[in-house]
Amino acid sequence: MTRKVLIVPCSGIGKTYGTVARTGAYIVTEDLRPDTTQLVPLARVVLGDDEVRQTLAGAPAIAIDGCKLACAAKVVAESGGALAHALQVLDVFRKHRELKPAGIAELNEGGEKLAAALAGEVVTLIHDMEGQEDA
Amino acid sequence: MPELPKRKVGLVSCSGEEMAEGSVTRLATLKVLQSLRPQETVTICLPLFLAGGEGDRAFARFYPTIAIDGCEKRCAARGTEMYSSKPAAGIVVSELCPSAPGCLGTARHLNDAGMEVVTKVAEEIARHVDRLLGGTKSGRHGEPGDHSSAVQEKRASAATCSCGSGIPVKVLEIAERSVEVLALPLIFDMFRQSGKAPGAGTTAELMEIVRLYNGIPEEEQASWNEAIQREYAAYYAGEAR
Amino acid sequence: MLPNHSTPAEEVIRLTVDKFTFLIPRDIYYCEADLWIRLEGDNARLGLSDFAQQRNGDIAFAEIKPVGTVLGFGDEIGSIETVKVNVSLPSPIRGTVVDVNPHLQEAAEVINQDPYGKGWLALVALTSWQKDRAALLHADAYLALVKEKAEAEMKK
Repeated sequence: MTRKVLIVPCSGIGKTYGTVARTGAYIVTEDLRPDTTQLVPLARVVLGDDEVRQTLAGAPAIAIDGCKLACAAKVVAESGGALAHALQVLDVFRKHRELKPAGIAELNEGGEKLAAALAGEVVTLIHDMEGQEDA
Repeated sequence: MPELPKRKVGLVSCSGEEMAEGSVTRLATLKVLQSLRPQETVTICLPLFLAGGEGDRAFARFYPTIAIDGCEKRCAARGTEMYSSKPAAGIVVSELCPSAPGCLGTARHLNDAGMEVVTKVAEEIARHVDRLLGGTKSGRHGEPGDHSSAVQEKRASAATCSCGSGIPVKVLEIAERSVEVLALPLIFDMFRQSGKAPGAGTTAELMEIVRLYNGIPEEEQASWNEAIQREYAAYYAGEAR
Repeated sequence: MLPNHSTPAEEVIRLTVDKFTFLIPRDIYYCEADLWIRLEGDNARLGLSDFAQQRNGDIAFAEIKPVGTVLGFGDEIGSIETVKVNVSLPSPIRGTVVDVNPHLQEAAEVINQDPYGKGWLALVALTSWQKDRAALLHADAYLALVKEKAEAEMKK
């Protein structure tokens, strides 16, 4: 895959899910796939930041939302981005019921592990996308 | 006795994942929400706000907001103004606490210097909150209106604010424009039930309460005063029948 | 706290507290455990009130007693789990569970999205409706309760 995959987390500060989404995005873009992914701030997409919009138009995006309101997915789609996948922390939590997250400023252990599980799912999706593109 | 909505300040923090200043805004905002001013503040979730959250947008139209941004892009301030109304105050971390890149740590992990800045920004936010709740001039921000002191009244039935907040309003013609005066039906009801008859003293008291919920431009004080006095006299006479 | 200003004809009471608006339809009953009850012939459909779903947060899991379960007053009819809380739901009525919302298994968030419609929890065949009804709340009484609870929540 020649283009970077854009990771767009919702990052709301009202719920712990927002922190999980953002932490998961950091794990992907800084630890697991630093060379092939790029984190894009949601607010800059909405507020018509030209540089970000151009970036969005030219690459596939994975939105990571904290809840079913799906702010990141909606905004990416409405801004003309190529939304390849939309993940929600709630769905990942359902698969890992034991990893109950808590904390907004700082995640508890469950939250950190949930963010890691979320990042793992994102990386799997990126791997699949790369496989499809190379095929 | 009708109850007036408690006045609070909405805090809109930028999402700021790209830089340490963004994390500073988030942590400072949380500090104010959770420990410095928990009863006086409400968080406005910026992503939800931008994506169309009507509850957050309606709140930000009625209550004063403080936008806390990490950098000069001012996403929180611009977003709030775009979808609701202009923030009553704004803080930009990179202007309040200028620092060289990397000095505060990373977006993911702030260092000690970064945490110090969090405390400083949180205290600044709290100062703004105190000012907005204690002052009489701030409040909803709308168009300044023209400077004419002519007052016309418009017979209008009570309705709820068009912003969808559910706050009852009364539309008056003040300074040659239509103004939704928030919470006026409730305020009038409260005064009447307290037995306050129309007059100069009552009007002064009414205006103190009206100011808490409505931003009144300085140059329109007299126009508002006249309108509220006349409207309350008509209301009081109507209720007495 | 903003008092209700709905007219008698309005079907739904809207209570706004800060940035939250809680809906309370007038045509159903409520109980103190924040469940709503809608009479449907000899049965009653139950669900979680809008206030409860907002207060508890995004529902990750909802487990309701299966069809055939006989419920006494106060028996657990089910439970919900969110990131914030695990809440046991006591039945406000006596009867037998005859249907459970099939969407709850895969998409419990339907309770958050449409608490009074598609997010219903269970359908119960009633055995003591006249007695149970006396302990239920009409919308206005539930509004007063929600105001009290919402105020307490805001102070936390």
